[in-house]
Amino acid sequence: MYEMSDQTAVSSLLVLVLDTNPVWWGSRQQETQVQLPECLDAALVFANSHLMLSHNNKLAVIAAHTDRSHFLYPMRQEEQMQMDADGGDASVGGGDGKYELFAQVDSVVKKEMQQLMSQNPEGEVSPDSVVAGALAMALCYIHRLEKECTIGIKLSARILVLKGSEDNPSQYMNFMNAVFTAQKQSVVIDACIIENESGLLQQACDITGGIYLKIPQETALVQYMLWLFLPDPTVRSKLTLPPRAQVDYRAACFCHRHLIDIGYVCSVCLSIFCMFSPICSTCQTTFKILGPPKLPKKKSKKTS
Amino acid sequence: MAEEETGYRWETEYEKTWEALVEDESGSLQASVADIVSKAKRRHLLDKIGNVRLGMMRHLFVIIDMSQAMNDQDLKPSRILTTLKLLEHFVEEYFDQNPISQLGIMASRNKRAEKITELGGNPRRHVTALQGLTTKPCQGELSLQNSLDMALQTLRHMPGHASREVLIIGGSLTTCDPGDIHSTIKILQENNVRCSVIGLSAEVRVCKKLCQATNGQYNVVLDETHFKDLLNQHVTPPPATANTESSLIKMGFPHHSLTGDKNSEEKASMCMCHLDSKESQGFGSNGYFCPQCKSKYCELPIECKACGLTLVSAPHLARSYHHLFPPEPFKELLTSDIMTDAAV
Repeated sequence: MYEMSDQTAVSSLLVLVLDTNPVWWGSRQQETQVQLPECLDAALVFANSHLMLSHNNKLAVIAAHTDRSHFLYPMRQEEQMQMDADGGDASVGGGDGKYELFAQVDSVVKKEMQQLMSQNPEGEVSPDSVVAGALAMALCYIHRLEKECTIGIKLSARILVLKGSEDNPSQYMNFMNAVFTAQKQSVVIDACIIENESGLLQQACDITGGIYLKIPQETALVQYMLWLFLPDPTVRSKLTLPPRAQVDYRAACFCHRHLIDIGYVCSVCLSIFCMFSPICSTCQTTFKILGPPKLPKKKSKKTS
Repeated sequence: MAEEETGYRWETEYEKTWEALVEDESGSLQASVADIVSKAKRRHLLDKIGNVRLGMMRHLFVIIDMSQAMNDQDLKPSRILTTLKLLEHFVEEYFDQNPISQLGIMASRNKRAEKITELGGNPRRHVTALQGLTTKPCQGELSLQNSLDMALQTLRHMPGHASREVLIIGGSLTTCDPGDIHSTIKILQENNVRCSVIGLSAEVRVCKKLCQATNGQYNVVLDETHFKDLLNQHVTPPPATANTESSLIKMGFPHHSLTGDKNSEEKASMCMCHLDSKESQGFGSNGYFCPQCKSKYCELPIECKACGLTLVSAPHLARSYHHLFPPEPFKELLTSDIMTDAAV
C-alpha cells in the first residue's frame, strides 16, 4: 500500500457503526462492565487514530439506535453552516492546541450523541438495534463519496460495527441484502462485539472478508480496536490475526426461529421449516405429500 | 413479442425515435441519453414486480451453436468468440443470482449434439469448459432436434418442482434434423421445459415456434451490447409454469469445521467431491459435513452423493430471496429534502 501511494493517493473511508441501544446499555452493571461513555471514548480514540494515519483518510460515524439510525459524524450540512455562522469553530478547538479535526470530531459526535440520547423514543423500546438500517446508510454514504471522489484518488471503504445488543431475526432479510451489496461493492465489514455473539455479523464478516471479534476483555476495548481494526484490509494479510471463528451457517426455521441442521424448504418461496406441513405458511402453497414411490403415470398432467 | 402475429417492425407506423433526444444548454446529448437509459432501467425494474410464482430451482441447459455460421465476423472478433466471452460472464452472474440452481453446457456441430458439461452447480467448471471451447473449430451444421433431445434426456429426470430450461444461442439459419421437430417440441411442452432462443443472425420460424410453444423468449441480437442485455434477462428466474409441482424439499445445513481445531476428534479425511481425482486436493480435516450421513464436502451447495440430501448454507437461500421479496422501488429525492428530514 505504501509503495502505491506514490502514484495514486488512496483515501481510506471508515464508517463506524455504533450500537447505542438504551435498553442494552442500561442493563449493564455499573462497576464491572464497560459503559456507553467509555465505549464512545474508545471509539473516538480509534476514529482519531484512523484520521491520523493519513490526511486523505475520511470518517463517518453512524449510531444504530433502537428505532432508527442517525449520523453522528459528519453533521448535516445545514447545522454545519449554522455553526460556522455562530463562529463556533474557535470554541470547538478549546484553544489548547489540539488538532482542530480531532476536536471537531470529538465535539460533534458527543453533541449528536447527547441529542440522540435525550430524545426518548415513543412507545415500546425494543432491546435490539437497527444494524441493518445503519449498514444500508453506511453503504449509501460510501456510494456517494465514491461518486464525489476527485480523480486521481482511490477511495477504499470499510465498515466497522461496534455492537453489544442482541440480533433481531426480523432484520435478517434487510441485513443480508446489505451484506450482499457490500460484497458487490467490495466493502469490508468488520465487527467488534462486546457481549452477545452475533450470528448475523459472523456471516457478514465471513462473506465480505472482514474480521469478527468478540472482545475477550472489555476493559481493553481500545487496544483490541487499535491492534485489529486499524490496519487497512490490504495490509491485514501481513499480520498475525487471531484465527477465524467458526461461522454458523445454519438457517433458522421460519416457524420457531430455531437453528436447524436438516429442514424442509418450500420450492416456491424458499421458506425454511423445521417440520413437514402440508401448507406453506408464507406463500399458502399446498404441497404434494411425498407418499410411496410414484407410479409411472407421468403422462396425465394436471390441467389448471 | 410473444403474440402470434403482430406484424413486422417495418410494417408498423413510422417512428421518429430521434425526437426523444433533446440537447441541453451546452448542446450535448449526453444528459438526454443518460436519462433515457436510467428510465429504461427503472421501467425494467418496475415491470418485474408482481406477485408471480417463480421457478426458483432452475436447471438450465445452454446450447451453443458451433456450426459453420458461427465463424461469421459480424460480431467482433467472431460470433463464437463473442458468444463464449459473454457466456463466461453469464455463468458467473447466473450462479451469483441463483446459488441453488444448476447449469449445463452443450454444443452442436456437424449435425450432432455433444455435452460439454453435465448439470452442476460449480461455476468454475463451466467457465473452464467454455474457455476450452474457444480453440475448437466451428464446423458443419446445427441440429436443433438432436440438441433438444439430449437436453431433454437429462431434464426430464429432474424433480417436478424444478424449473427446467433450455437456452439456445445460435447463428445458424438452418437446422439438420433426423425426424419431425414438431414432435420434439410437443414432448418438450409436455415435460414443462422452457426453451428460449437468442438468434445471432435473423429470425427463424422454427425457433419462434419452439419458444412460443414452450413459453420461452425469442430474441435476435442487434449488436454486442444488446446480446449482453438479452443474456442478462435470463439471469433472473422466469415465472413458473402452472403445472410445476410444489413440494417441501428436505435440505441440510452442514457445519463447517476448520483445521487447527486440536480438540476435535475428527481425523483428516478425503472429501466426496475430489474422491475420483488423483491429487491430494480435498484431503484434510476441514470441510462441510452432511448432517445426515457425515460425508464431507469442500464446497456448497451440493447434493450429497451418499444420501442425496441437498446441502446448502443459509446465505445461499438468502441470496435468492430478493427475487421473491424484491425491495420496493426507490424514491428519488433531492439532496435538500434529505438534509431537513430529521429522522432517517
